[in-house]
Amino acid sequence: MTQLILALTVGILFACGAYLVMRRGQIKLILGLGLLSHGVNLLLFGSGRLTLGQPPIFADKQNFLADLARGRLADPLPQALILTAIVISFGITAFVIVLVNRRHTITNSDVVQGELVPLLVEGDPFGAEIREGYGYDWLAYEVDEVYERGQMDARGSRVSPDEDESAALEREGYDQR
Amino acid sequence: MNPNLLAAPIALPLFVAALLLALSRWGGRQRIGLQRWLAAVTLTVVLVVALALAQFTLGGQRLVLQMGGWQAPFGITLIADGLTAILLTLTALVALAVLPFAIATIDLHRERMAFYPLFLVLVMGVNGAFLTGDFFNLYVFFEVLLMASFVLLTIGGQPAQTHSGIRYVVLNLLGSLVFLAAAGIAYGTLGTLNMAHMAQRLDAAPMAVRALLAGMLLVAFGSKAALFPLFFWLPSSYHTPPPAVTALFGGLLTKVGVYTIFRSFTLFFPDLLAAWQPLLLGIAGATMLIGSLGAMAQPTVRRVLSFHIISHVGFMLMGLGVALNGEKLAVGFGLSAAILYMAHHMLVKTGLILAGGAVEIEMGGDRLQSIGGLVGRRPLLALLFFLSAISLAGIPPFSGFIGKLTLLQITLDSRHWTVAGVSIVASVLTLINVMRLWQEAFWGKYEHPGRLTPWLLDAPVRRWLVLGPIGALLLLSLGLGLFGERFFQMTTTAAQQALDRTGYIAAVHPVQPESVAGPAETGGHD
Repeated sequence: MTQLILALTVGILFACGAYLVMRRGQIKLILGLGLLSHGVNLLLFGSGRLTLGQPPIFADKQNFLADLARGRLADPLPQALILTAIVISFGITAFVIVLVNRRHTITNSDVVQGELVPLLVEGDPFGAEIREGYGYDWLAYEVDEVYERGQMDARGSRVSPDEDESAALEREGYDQR
Repeated sequence: MNPNLLAAPIALPLFVAALLLALSRWGGRQRIGLQRWLAAVTLTVVLVVALALAQFTLGGQRLVLQMGGWQAPFGITLIADGLTAILLTLTALVALAVLPFAIATIDLHRERMAFYPLFLVLVMGVNGAFLTGDFFNLYVFFEVLLMASFVLLTIGGQPAQTHSGIRYVVLNLLGSLVFLAAAGIAYGTLGTLNMAHMAQRLDAAPMAVRALLAGMLLVAFGSKAALFPLFFWLPSSYHTPPPAVTALFGGLLTKVGVYTIFRSFTLFFPDLLAAWQPLLLGIAGATMLIGSLGAMAQPTVRRVLSFHIISHVGFMLMGLGVALNGEKLAVGFGLSAAILYMAHHMLVKTGLILAGGAVEIEMGGDRLQSIGGLVGRRPLLALLFFLSAISLAGIPPFSGFIGKLTLLQITLDSRHWTVAGVSIVASVLTLINVMRLWQEAFWGKYEHPGRLTPWLLDAPVRRWLVLGPIGALLLLSLGLGLFGERFFQMTTTAAQQALDRTGYIAAVHPVQPESVAGPAETGGHD
């Protein structure tokens, strides 16, 4: 019964995490990654079998393996593994949060977009208002254009939001030099 | 040979990185010059150690270190065989080549944000992943190198970097989670995480467990190696950091994924190497084709080169796919060809990305439609770029030719016509691509997109810090091509060692007294 509950919990965590990771919003992405890593940690925990009410301490140094097999003590190894995994996922989650925060301060948007597709702030589910001269997220463009920021702003909007990326590239004259 | 030497490629970069961090924060001065020198000295020492290991292991022996004196399944094992030693040497060479370029081109802001310590930590993670004989430890080293690469990718905080950084971090994190889940399942079913011990117990494990683990590992390592359906993170992120960082990533990161695929399939699932051959070859073919076709559509130098990395990973996997085949040829010929190709790829690809980076910095941008005519201005850079490009495409006498020839020979010999045909098509596409780069960037009327940085190739010292490594890598590629037979003998030794799993298990020698029984053998979860 305990094992069934554990297995179901792991499954539900994976399902919710996978769903959230596939959403556009960055906050959902962070939450999804958190759920997924919790799911994996629980899976690791279950891999050492479930021993109820027993400490992971060897009382009898001679027969600890027999004790382990009979469920008289919990397996300490998965707990050590989970500890490592938690530290790593904690570090990475902190890093992702900083990254997302940094991106949010630049773009004022929560949406993760595909490459070369300019973001419309209007489409942001968190509903940031369109400000004067702040229609599009130019991040999505090439890095050299981002470096040449001055030139980029001067050119203004070259791609309308309805256009897809290949049409935009074509209009830019990439293929017809 | 003293087995403690095995810890040096891991411990040395780690300690020096910590020292550099301490130095840079002590007394309010950054000591950038000292950091550069210490990093260079460390990498040189690591190269010497790697060469010594290669000298030892390519005689057909393995070197094993049980950390802390704990016996095999209980402690962490470090083990070096030929494959490991070759890759350690290549890693040190790539890092040593990228370092001068980084010194010349990385801006002071990034250098102050702990660039050199991160560089060393990345090298340490890569070395650790090659050396470890413990499954969970492999996960930890993967995370170490990923963490260093996350920061190297996003350091500086350019808008495009944060944008691509999110995709890179998330997709790599998902791959790592699959790997971690596989480690959990391995412990739950096999009761051990020591790789030699796992290999031993996998022989008795039911087919369902073996297939599940093999599939999960293929997904996890395939996403690190940028194999066919899981490659998206690579071309969407490699063009955003400074060129030196891209060269380091392009030379090292995907190759760790390829190495782990090689190691897991030869050590854990040698029978699946035959049973899953259509799958492996199919993925290899698709990866080659997608990589070189994708490169055709890319508008900038670095994006084209990023897609080529994917294409070449497909070639390496093709070698693994035919590792056990070949009617007229010796066992391990395919894997040997794949290792030789990997050596060629790591040297040449790094050199070409460095050359492309020099073009980008020289021109102030690398969008193909807005650059051109560099050949008259920078003839030496043009020459180096051209020779690296034809080496990548596989023109003799450079190493690309011998790498592709041996791979093709074994594939044809084992009668896999389709994938052999695909690899020829991909090679031709690669040639077209690099010639497109050459034509766009170096031929035609001189034009550049605006902001020029003429200091780079005019400054007396910087000029050679940039051109020197590219030339050195090119010379290594030439050597690999000219003395191909000698190097092929070495990689054949390494491949046969990698395929000899009983030797690997015996070298690690996991103890198992009668009473030692993991959960798998006692069975019966209550």
